[in-house]
Amino acid sequence: MQMQHQQHEHAFEFTGNGREYFKIWIVNLLLSILTLGIYSAWAKVRRLQYFYRNTRLADAGFEYHGTPLAILKGRFIAFGLLVVYSVAGGLNPLLGIVIALLIAAVMPWLIVRSLRFKLHNSSYRGLRFAFAGSDGAAYTVFLLFPILTVLSLYLLAPFTHQQIKQYQHRNSMFGDTFFNFEASVGSFYGIYLRMLGLLVVLGILAGILVAAGLPFMLILLPIAFLFVAAYLAVRLPNLIWNATGLGEHTFYSRLEIRPYLWISFTNLLGIVFTLGLYVPFATVRMMRYKLESMGLLAQGDLAEFVAGQAQAISATGEETAEMFDVDISL
Amino acid sequence: MVLEARYFDGKTAAAQTVSLMLDAHDLVLRGSGFELRWPLGEVHISERLGSTPCLLTYAGGGHCEVIDHAELEALLARLGTRRSWLDGMQHSMVWALFAAALIVLSLLAAYRYLLPWGAEAIAMHAPGGVLQQMGSSTLETLDRVMLQPSKLDAARQQELSDAYARLKPLPDAQLQYRIVFRSAPGMGANAFALPDGTIVMLDELVELTKDDNEIIAVLAHERGHVERRHALRMVLQSSAVGLVLTWYMGDVSSLLATLPAVVVQAKYSRDMENEADEYAERTLRHNALSPCLLASILDKLEASHLARNAGKRLPATEAGKGDEVLDYLSSHPATKERASQLCPAESSQR
Repeated sequence: MQMQHQQHEHAFEFTGNGREYFKIWIVNLLLSILTLGIYSAWAKVRRLQYFYRNTRLADAGFEYHGTPLAILKGRFIAFGLLVVYSVAGGLNPLLGIVIALLIAAVMPWLIVRSLRFKLHNSSYRGLRFAFAGSDGAAYTVFLLFPILTVLSLYLLAPFTHQQIKQYQHRNSMFGDTFFNFEASVGSFYGIYLRMLGLLVVLGILAGILVAAGLPFMLILLPIAFLFVAAYLAVRLPNLIWNATGLGEHTFYSRLEIRPYLWISFTNLLGIVFTLGLYVPFATVRMMRYKLESMGLLAQGDLAEFVAGQAQAISATGEETAEMFDVDISL
Repeated sequence: MVLEARYFDGKTAAAQTVSLMLDAHDLVLRGSGFELRWPLGEVHISERLGSTPCLLTYAGGGHCEVIDHAELEALLARLGTRRSWLDGMQHSMVWALFAAALIVLSLLAAYRYLLPWGAEAIAMHAPGGVLQQMGSSTLETLDRVMLQPSKLDAARQQELSDAYARLKPLPDAQLQYRIVFRSAPGMGANAFALPDGTIVMLDELVELTKDDNEIIAVLAHERGHVERRHALRMVLQSSAVGLVLTWYMGDVSSLLATLPAVVVQAKYSRDMENEADEYAERTLRHNALSPCLLASILDKLEASHLARNAGKRLPATEAGKGDEVLDYLSSHPATKERASQLCPAESSQR
C-alpha cells in the first residue's frame, strides 16, 4: 500500500524593503547614466541579486550568478538590432521589413540562449536551475505559432501563449528534476475571452457616456484599462503557476484583482508624483505582493526532496553555456 | 570569535550549519562530524546588498551563507580585506540623495548639450544617399496623406524656380536645391524643407505676397533648415528622447511619456528656427537682398495663421494675451522676437 504523504504549504517570503533597495538602485542608476548605460549591466546583476537573495522558500534563499559582462554582451546585441532596425526602417520601409524578418529569424535562437542563461545562473540551496529546451521546438513556439497567430487575426493568441509557457516550464529543471506544466489550451482561451468581454462592456459604457453627453467621464477610461491589465496580470500567473509543478510538488498562486489593482494604481501615482524616485519602492511592493501570494504545495517533506536533488550535468556542458549564452532581456 | 553560517556543498541541496574560523591562510568550516579548509585565495566574498545574506563561494565547489553581517565584517577586517568604495555609497542615505541630485543634473546637461551636439555631429556627416532617400520617401508619404498638386500655372512655377535658381548659395553650401509646388488647404500658408534639399512650396504661401523677393526670403530660410540638417537632427533627437523615456517610464503609460517629448521638442525646433533665420539673413545679404524681406513675410504668415485659427479656437482678443504660452509651446519662436532680430530698424519704428 502506498503511503499517503501529508501536504505542506510553503509560501514564498520576500524580505526586501524599499528604503534599502532605493539606496542601491539610485547609486547604480547614477553610475549607469554617467557611463552612458554601460554600467547598467552591473546594476542589473545587483538588482537581481537583491531580489533573489530576498526571496525565500522554506527558510532558504535564492541566488543569481549572472556576470555583468555576459549581460553587457546581450545588451550590445539587442541595442545593435534595435539601431539597425530603426535606421533601416527610417531610410526605407522595405529595407526595414527585410531587417525585421531577419531579426525575427534569429529571435527564437536568442530567446533559448537567454532562457538558458537566466536559469543556469539561478540557484536555490546551492543547486542550479537549468533549461533543456531545444532550438527546433523554440522555432515552433516563438516563430511559427506567432506567425499563425497573426494570420488567424489573433484567434490563436491564447493557444500560442499556452504553448510558449508549456515549452518554458516543461523544459526547466531544478537540480535533476524537471518542472511540469498542465494548463490546458481551453483555460487560456477562458481568460482571454473574459478579457475580451470586459473590453466590450467598457466600450459600450464609453459609448453610452458619450451618447449621454458626458464625454468628460471618459477620463475614467485609463482607469478601466488599468483594471483590464490587472485582470490579465492576476489571472494569467494564477493559471500558469497553479498548473506548474516540480517533481511531485505543485506550485500555487493566489493573486487577487483588488489588491493588485490597488498596488499598481498607487505605485503609478507614487512614480508620477515623485518623478520616478518611487520606482524602487514600487518594485519592492509589487514583488512582495506577487511572491507572497505564491508558494509550493509539498507532498511530504520538502527538505527531504530538496536534499535528494543533485546538480544536473547539462548535456552541452557549462563552458559552452558560459561562452554562447547571452541575456537579451533588458 | 566564531561565525555561524549555513554550508551547501553544491552537489545536493542539503544545508548544514557550520562555524567559520580563520586559520593562517585558510577559512575553516567546522560542522557536526566534518571539517573543511578553504584557501582564502579561492574564496569569493559576495558584495553586501542591504541586509541580504552574504555568500562565501569556494572555487572548488560549495558555498556558505552568512546572515550575521557585523560578525562577517569583523572577520573581513581581520583579513585586511576592504569593501569597495561602492559598498559605502550603496548603503548610505546621504549618498543616495546626492546621487539623486547628480542624476537630475547630468540628465539636464545631457539633454541640453550632449543630445544636440551628438545629433548634429551625426547629421552633418550623414551620407548624401541617406539624405536623398529620406527626402524622397518623406515627399512620397506627404503626397499620399496631405498634399495635393499645385494649382499654380506652369509659367508661374517656372518664374519662381528661376528666381530661386538665381539665389546664390553661401560658399559653404553643400547641397543641390530644387523647389516643388504643392497645395494643402488644410495646412494654410507654409513651406518646408526636406533633408535632400527639396523645398515644398505651398500655393497658399505663394498667394500670400505680391513681392517675389519675400518668397525668396522664405526659401533662403528653408535652405538654412536643409544646410543645417534640421530634419535629420530632429529625427535623431526625438528618437533618442523617445528611447530614453520609454525605457525610463517603463510601466507608466506611453501617454505620459509622449507629453514631455512634445514640450521638449518644441524647444529644439525654436533653436533651429533661429539658426535657419540666421542662415537666411546671411544668404539674403550675400545676394544683396534685405533680411527685412523675411521679417515681412513672417509677419504675413503669422497674420494668416492667426486668422485661420481665430475661426477655430482662439478669439482674436485672446490671441495677444496667449502669446507667451504659445511662445513656449509653439515650435516657431514668437514672430516679433524673430522680426526684431532680422530687421532691427523696422521693428523699432513700429
